Amino acid sequence: MADIRFEHVVKTYDNGVTVIPDLNLEIKDKEFVVLVGPSGCGKSTTLRMIAGLETISEGELYIGDHVVNDVAPKNRDIAMVFQSYALYPHMTVYKNMAFALELRKTPKAEIDQKVREAARILELEPYLDRKPKALSGGQRQRVALGRAMVRDPEVFLLDEPLSNLDAKLRTEMRSQISSLHKRLATTFVYVTHDQTEAMTMGDRICVMKAGIIQQFDTPQQLYNYPDNVFVAGFIGSPQMNFVEARVDANGSSYDLVFGNDRIRVDKPELARYIGKEVILGIRPEDLHAEEDFIRKAEDACFTAHVKLAEMMGSEIYLYFDILGSQKIARIPSRIPAGVDMDIRLAIDTDKVHVFDKDTEKAICH
Amino acid sequence: MEKRRKLSDHIWTIILALLAVAYCYPVFMILINSFKKERAIGTGSIFKLPSKETFNGLAHYVSAIESQGFLKSLGFSLLITITSVAAILLFCSMCAWYITRVENKFTKALYYLFVFSMVVPFQMVMFTLSQTADKLGLNRPFNIWIIYLGFGAGLAVFMFAGFMKSIPLEIEEASMIDGCNPIQTFFLIVLPILKPTLVSVGVLEAMWVWNDYLLPTLVLDIRKYKTIPMLIQYFRGGYGKVAMGPMMASIMLTIIPIVIVYLAGQKHIIKGVAAGAVKG
Repeated sequence: MADIRFEHVVKTYDNGVTVIPDLNLEIKDKEFVVLVGPSGCGKSTTLRMIAGLETISEGELYIGDHVVNDVAPKNRDIAMVFQSYALYPHMTVYKNMAFALELRKTPKAEIDQKVREAARILELEPYLDRKPKALSGGQRQRVALGRAMVRDPEVFLLDEPLSNLDAKLRTEMRSQISSLHKRLATTFVYVTHDQTEAMTMGDRICVMKAGIIQQFDTPQQLYNYPDNVFVAGFIGSPQMNFVEARVDANGSSYDLVFGNDRIRVDKPELARYIGKEVILGIRPEDLHAEEDFIRKAEDACFTAHVKLAEMMGSEIYLYFDILGSQKIARIPSRIPAGVDMDIRLAIDTDKVHVFDKDTEKAICH
Repeated sequence: MEKRRKLSDHIWTIILALLAVAYCYPVFMILINSFKKERAIGTGSIFKLPSKETFNGLAHYVSAIESQGFLKSLGFSLLITITSVAAILLFCSMCAWYITRVENKFTKALYYLFVFSMVVPFQMVMFTLSQTADKLGLNRPFNIWIIYLGFGAGLAVFMFAGFMKSIPLEIEEASMIDGCNPIQTFFLIVLPILKPTLVSVGVLEAMWVWNDYLLPTLVLDIRKYKTIPMLIQYFRGGYGKVAMGPMMASIMLTIIPIVIVYLAGQKHIIKGVAAGAVKG
């Protein structure tokens, strides 16, 4: 059993800066949890606290049933993959992977079997006698994974392991790490600032900002039901569009008014906000330019003046301004649209998100 | 532009070649004179190559080795050099590890103290040092390494600390997670990574200790213990006259070990010296 539980954990550095004010987080056994957030949000610190590389100022950290605040890293039964891989430069690939087992006085035959098994899974067999400097980035990455694998740890910690790889290799390693998780069936905690990695790999994602958990949920929930403006903006690429709008009553439903445009939404939660400003959130793919959609959604249309159009193949990203700030729409590439054109766009009002302007918390989805 | 650069390259090559000759010539002179008969090593004939009449074979070398406790002095020199260099490498690398990994005012002050010790001339402290060494009983070849450790620490800590800063901390953290305690991390991970710097510091310190004349002369009991540089100074023939031939031969014999050490380690020296300067 390797649940990880943070109970009111505080991390304050020696210079008095508090990076984690009060962390409560429970990671279940065998779960793949991704900690994601912008740099400086405390995600790496959180991971390093699990590893035992950072002390905990207050609160308790449990791995399984034990409080591990004062347990040395080597006694926590964890393995960690670092951003820079942190391979031992003077050892061969084989030695790098065998090192931890040798320290534990594991029998030679068992070490050999484990290292060769890991090398086979990670396709590292031809490189076992090489030193790290003679390997490519992707191979080094796999050695770092292998070094962690051979130990059969209770918890696998990964600190931005893919950020030094090129885009193609990153996609490849992403699926390799996911399948590794399935094969090993242990708890994985993965830190990244890349929301694509988070969305594709995590069973659950913990979005952090300034040391505070913004939302901890499945990728689907985060995408469809973000708790606040930060999560809504952070998850999803291209980013969600935000527009400040005023709520007007319109019979049994409500109008959201921005500039000269107004769209009708049918969300009873807006009753409390009549006459007030809110933040309207629309994902780029929920803006439609298709004829039949526009016909059906007459009361949720507006005209956009295209500033920039990026052809992505199957779709086009259109950039335009609403109330002076840039927005983006993702429409099928068969629709004729180009720079300097005026295009009619319809909002899928079933999928809009509305946030409180003061607290930035979600009102309705 | 290209032409001008080529010309300046040539000029530099000539200047540096002349400098190299100037540096090597004294050694060459000692070498040729060590093969000449004693009477041929005079002021008038010192620059001449050995001829049929003046060539003496290896006779001076044989007499140098046989006479006046050359082998004993060689032993003392070896003992002092090996113990001093070993102590400097071990203690200074540990100290530099502490200084680079534990960052606080104390370690910073310690670091600057080491760097400062490099600029204090030996002559400034030598008399008080020889008195202190006598009082503490550090005037024997077996424990003079403690004094050498003190004088060698400045350069060694400076070089080790420079290189250690370029070792990513994550490697040490990885070793801690893998199961190392701090001592294992140091000996199994940090020290092997430091190899180029260890070699270069080792060679530099070995050259200094091996060739050092002043410190052992002041500290050691001259009647009992003489290192090679001291012995050469006291090389005298049967009638109180300096025996030039055996002296030159013994100088050549003394140079050989340290040249071998230098040649074996020289490719690491450049690496080691440059390692701290450029972020890796």
